[in-house]
Amino acid sequence: MSVLKRVQQWATFARIWHVYDAAWQNPFQSAELLKKYLMGMYKPIYHPSNDCGDHVIVINSAEIALPGDEWKKRVYFHHTGYPGGATWTLAWDLHSKDPTMVPAVYNSMDGNLKRRYTMERLHIFPDSNVPKDLMANVSNQIRQIRPMPKRLDHYPEQQVKEFPKVIDYPKDYVVR
Amino acid sequence: MSNKHLFLIPGFIRTPLQNGVGRYVGQLQRVVLKFCKNNGSSRGMREFIESGLVNFANENPGVVVYLKPRRHRTAVIKAEYLNGDSQWINCRNFTQEEVLKWLILLKSQSKNATGTRIKKLWHTDHPSIQGPWTPYTFRDPELNLVEFPNDILSKPAIMERSSQDELIELFNNKKIEELESKRAE
Repeated sequence: MSVLKRVQQWATFARIWHVYDAAWQNPFQSAELLKKYLMGMYKPIYHPSNDCGDHVIVINSAEIALPGDEWKKRVYFHHTGYPGGATWTLAWDLHSKDPTMVPAVYNSMDGNLKRRYTMERLHIFPDSNVPKDLMANVSNQIRQIRPMPKRLDHYPEQQVKEFPKVIDYPKDYVVR
Repeated sequence: MSNKHLFLIPGFIRTPLQNGVGRYVGQLQRVVLKFCKNNGSSRGMREFIESGLVNFANENPGVVVYLKPRRHRTAVIKAEYLNGDSQWINCRNFTQEEVLKWLILLKSQSKNATGTRIKKLWHTDHPSIQGPWTPYTFRDPELNLVEFPNDILSKPAIMERSSQDELIELFNNKKIEELESKRAE
């Protein structure tokens, strides 16, 4: 391959690092979104036998939001392989023990033979503390799906006072 | 398991029996317009049948047109070609112009060509002048100066206007009106 063609090859098949903020996001919807970047499906050069997946760094995975009753009802099954080694772990239990574990992305790639090594390119962190050398590689931010609501005490006091009110509590009302 | 659904079927452009070199024979054999008698999604199809269908049938004497009114099903065009191919087009919520456009397309086709990637009879050693795609081809150059993670870039792209935003706008407009009326006084 000539020098020019080698550089062109290197540029076209470059592996991009993306970052995704998972705070207040539904992990199952996010998994469908991140799957596209991890597998390289958004690239026009995609082919199943062409190893064109990108890296994705997920931050704030401790603050994900499962819909409805999922925290109480979603159960993850694990079998060690030994007799009597079956365990059923609830989502809240699993998350409290390891906040980086949400098998949503893994399960969304069910049936895909490249799942195991595609998952190796997904780096999950429970908060925003990411090692500097990983963060230095990042060149794209993936947009969130759900908007993040802002807490009332995070707004500046002036803005809260000036905000238009429809009605107000009476002066002697006791707010519990 | 298979990845066939990801790719188009490659094929050259071919005409049956050099159609058009001497005489031209329309390759569409029959067309069945299936529609619901009273559902709103078939309205365009019904309007087309009332207005434009007879003209279409008269202009194309080689195509047999069947009508199939059936209840509680979406409007559909099913076309069959002389080579045995059939094509199925869902006409849910189409306008009558759209139905006509699809019929004209079917009339001009010689087979069902959906999902086909056309192979070219030419070859070039330089398929791209501007250079092949790289992950940086269609990127906003502002991204080069951004420090990650970025709050603004993280926000969802399509944010619907909430009722809260509309109320704030109403309030602000009212305030402006009051100020202007005071100034007028």
